[in-house]
Amino acid sequence: MIEEQAKVKQQTRRILNRFGRKRENLIPILQKVQGKLGYFPREAMLEIAEFLDMPEIDVYSVVTFYNQFRLIPPGKHSVRVCLGTACHMKGGYIALDAWKRRLDIDRGQTTLDREFDLETVACVGCCVMAPVTVVDDKPQAKVEPTKVDGILLSFKLEKERQGEESR
Amino acid sequence: MKAAGLQSVVSTFREIKSRAESQWWELRDGGKPVVLVGTATCGRAAGALEVVQAIRDELKKQKLDCPVIEVGCMGHCYAEPIVTIIKPGYPPICYGHVNPVIAERLIREFILGDDPCLEFVLGALEENDLVPSFSDFPRAKFEKKVILKNCGYIDPQQIEHYIANGGYSALVKALQMPPEKIIDEVKRSGLRGRGGAGFPAGEKWEICRNASGKPKYLICNGDEGDPGAFMDRAILESDPHSVLEGMLIAGYAIGAPFGYLYVRAEYPLAVRRAQLALRQARKLNLLGRNILGSDFSFDIKLFQGSGAFVCGEETALIASLEGKPGIPHYRPPYPATNGLYGKPTLINNVKTLSFIRHIIQNGAEWFVSIGTERSKGTAVFALAGKVVNTGLTEVPMGTTLRQVIFDVGSGIPGGKRFKAVQIGGPSGGCLPESALDLPIDFDSLADAGAMMGSGGMIVLDEDDCMVEIARYFLDFTQRESCGKCTFCRLGTKQMLEVLDEITKGKGKIKDLDMLVELAEDIKAGSLCGLGKTAPNPVLSTLRFFRDEYEAHIKEGRCPALMCRELIAYYIIPEKCERSCDACVGTCTVEAISANKKRVKVIDQEKCVKCGTCLTSCPPQYNAVVKLSPPSQVPASK
Amino acid sequence: MKTISLTIDGKKVTASEGEKVLWAALDNGIYIPNLCALRDASESPAACCLCFVEVEGKSQPVTACTERVEQGMVVNTRSPGALRLARTALELLLASNVVDCAHCPANGSCELQKIAHHLGVKLKTRRFRKLLRELPVDSSSPVFIYDPNKCVLCGRCVWVCRERLGIGVLGFAHRGFERLVTTFADEPIAESRCRECGECVVACPTGALTFKEQ
Repeated sequence: MIEEQAKVKQQTRRILNRFGRKRENLIPILQKVQGKLGYFPREAMLEIAEFLDMPEIDVYSVVTFYNQFRLIPPGKHSVRVCLGTACHMKGGYIALDAWKRRLDIDRGQTTLDREFDLETVACVGCCVMAPVTVVDDKPQAKVEPTKVDGILLSFKLEKERQGEESR
Repeated sequence: MKAAGLQSVVSTFREIKSRAESQWWELRDGGKPVVLVGTATCGRAAGALEVVQAIRDELKKQKLDCPVIEVGCMGHCYAEPIVTIIKPGYPPICYGHVNPVIAERLIREFILGDDPCLEFVLGALEENDLVPSFSDFPRAKFEKKVILKNCGYIDPQQIEHYIANGGYSALVKALQMPPEKIIDEVKRSGLRGRGGAGFPAGEKWEICRNASGKPKYLICNGDEGDPGAFMDRAILESDPHSVLEGMLIAGYAIGAPFGYLYVRAEYPLAVRRAQLALRQARKLNLLGRNILGSDFSFDIKLFQGSGAFVCGEETALIASLEGKPGIPHYRPPYPATNGLYGKPTLINNVKTLSFIRHIIQNGAEWFVSIGTERSKGTAVFALAGKVVNTGLTEVPMGTTLRQVIFDVGSGIPGGKRFKAVQIGGPSGGCLPESALDLPIDFDSLADAGAMMGSGGMIVLDEDDCMVEIARYFLDFTQRESCGKCTFCRLGTKQMLEVLDEITKGKGKIKDLDMLVELAEDIKAGSLCGLGKTAPNPVLSTLRFFRDEYEAHIKEGRCPALMCRELIAYYIIPEKCERSCDACVGTCTVEAISANKKRVKVIDQEKCVKCGTCLTSCPPQYNAVVKLSPPSQVPASK
Repeated sequence: MKTISLTIDGKKVTASEGEKVLWAALDNGIYIPNLCALRDASESPAACCLCFVEVEGKSQPVTACTERVEQGMVVNTRSPGALRLARTALELLLASNVVDCAHCPANGSCELQKIAHHLGVKLKTRRFRKLLRELPVDSSSPVFIYDPNKCVLCGRCVWVCRERLGIGVLGFAHRGFERLVTTFADEPIAESRCRECGECVVACPTGALTFKEQ
């Protein structure tokens, strides 16, 4: 555990060294740190607060304010259900329900096996393909419950294939 | 500006431009065919990258030397992925719905052979005798592309394409004008901010120029957060330099040495393309110190938002640039006098800044000649929802809603009936059929209870519930509220509770009066634009579609058969086919089973109302129906 | 500094140039409900929405904490429009507050009670749904108890801890309906850098921060 914390601190510091100690760098720093760590462990936020010489609660305020920042580790695959207007009206909420049901988690959570995390986004700007779910940065068009099953199946098959190859 | 500096600007740019032009014409007229593939986000979602790969592989296989260029979005999103082939001897032809198989055929049959594969043609970019061109489309009569003109036509990753098509010439012209003259030109053009509220851009520029305090800042607001609006994304992905040029001219006019391009986190491709554009502009000294040898220095930094709708509000956007939560401040003072770090700051939307180069190049009179009395120029709309031609369109202000939806958008798909159009996103409203002949401009939309907003236009048909759409928008603004002021934090939450109850059939008729009262108070009392406009979707649907609210409350019925708590899926035994098990197999929760007579029955307790059975039931049987209220389902024997 | 004369509720008063209407009124014995405004802070957050007043010549009520006094200005703190907004705002706050006065140490000194009395609003409002968040009470500090369910998010404690004392343990976190005054990572106050000075408790207008009985 302590080893892990030390590693987080070290990784955070390495990113911080590329920035000036100015408050205006906070959001770009947070973006880079999350890019590396996937979320914000306590130690990372403390390290950033110290670097920018600001109260740690201020880092926490910013992290909890913006949708993009996470306080829990992400899954290996990210599932982001678009709930823009067009997607919603064409059944985005039905797709979200299907994901929730199959992954057995709520939005903002990560599955126990850390395979998937589930988020919603306001609009990815692909209203034409509604309802859209962005899976690992790839927008999937017209996601109905059966397509959710299809996507999950393809991940499962891929995992099995990799398992066989490594054996 | 000193005369010597000016001479250098003109001569330096002339050289840059002639190099760019020879590159462009080498590509267009170099004797080689060229393939353009639209790879903006909308194209990618439809599989454009796979098409690019297929084209590259096939060209290699056929040993063809022919450039493949990734372009932006033409606005015909309904037909993505779109491939354009420019072959000597033919007009440039666009193909729609291209998949890797079609792409390979296009290479073999058109580029290698001489068959232009007319069956896949969408239209030609130029008029010709072979295939219909886009200008022959009925919608062309209503459209006027100004800021979308380059989109899908030039390679956004090559600054030379932009320059060869007139880019940065307006900057060179502007540098030869005194800043006051530029502001005067923008003022005379009547350009109003395209971010939503429609504040006159020239006035804002003037206030900022005259404000004391140094340095001044310029911010381009690309935090396009309205769900259902995607034109800023399309412009940044398809023609990023047009935004940079607008920023440069604005920076010069107000006397700012520095600008921020604020782009939404959800637009990674727009961020990448804008970053590349910045590097290219810097390399040619179109950005940076002593631009083109003049005494004007200006640099732009790209700032990525982190996902907060409220950051579209100027003061919240500034807070987030300063490294704080995006929480709005009370205005006045306005950012134009007290903005970023307390300095005068000009904030304009992506589209507003995209217009600038055209106004400088063509003059204010040209811009004034387009549009209506009080709203000049064109308006860009993102058409989505229940409309045939989803995508982007640009029409002169004053075009009617009917023309946009039915002529440009080709109406409602599937023979369904038009019900309403939602304009302006969470700040806007839903307008009914009776408002369709309304000429669109800032003021007419506001009078009708909607709002131009950022230009998202969602078409709704008979299957869309107006209570649900109001609930949806309120749910959105409520989630996106920063939580600072009482009205927005708690008021919208109260309204949402009431709407939730109504969509579940638990509403009371007296709640409607409470909703209106509270909505009025939220509008009057909220601190910022997000709160002040949050009740609009509820107020406008209550105004035009009160009967739907009443049906939910009084009869527990959702007339559009959308609200899940008020509907049930039912399989009509007489229509169900014994031998078919399509619904049983596709039901995601195994709620359907066959009875002794092999008639399929839905277990209403298990059913999650996802509608998969209805889509999977073969059309020749058509046995699954939605019923509302759910009590209409006959009791099983 | 220049002195400005204006009329508030029919009474002629004077104030320094640049002063906000709220302070001009309070200094002259005219009460306007308020929670989030702080005289020592450079700008008011304009968050609580309770200090609406009517200014002659303005089409809509304005918040007194942000409105600067002007020569000849005519202010009405009891106009129907201003009172309607203030009442709705208060009712919204009360609807999301546990309102457990009988068991609250702040009973009698609570500003919500005072404002409700001033505006003629019942503490148990019926117009709105009761929307509570049921957050855990933090009694980890040896000196005071923090009950976020009684917090109105005025930010006085945050300001005192940060601006006046330079400690910065308390702050706002989360967003929208979830917004709350909290510590880093929502950790118990005893685990934070809190110096137990109790200044935040003194600043709190409600029963959200109260001293432990000795």
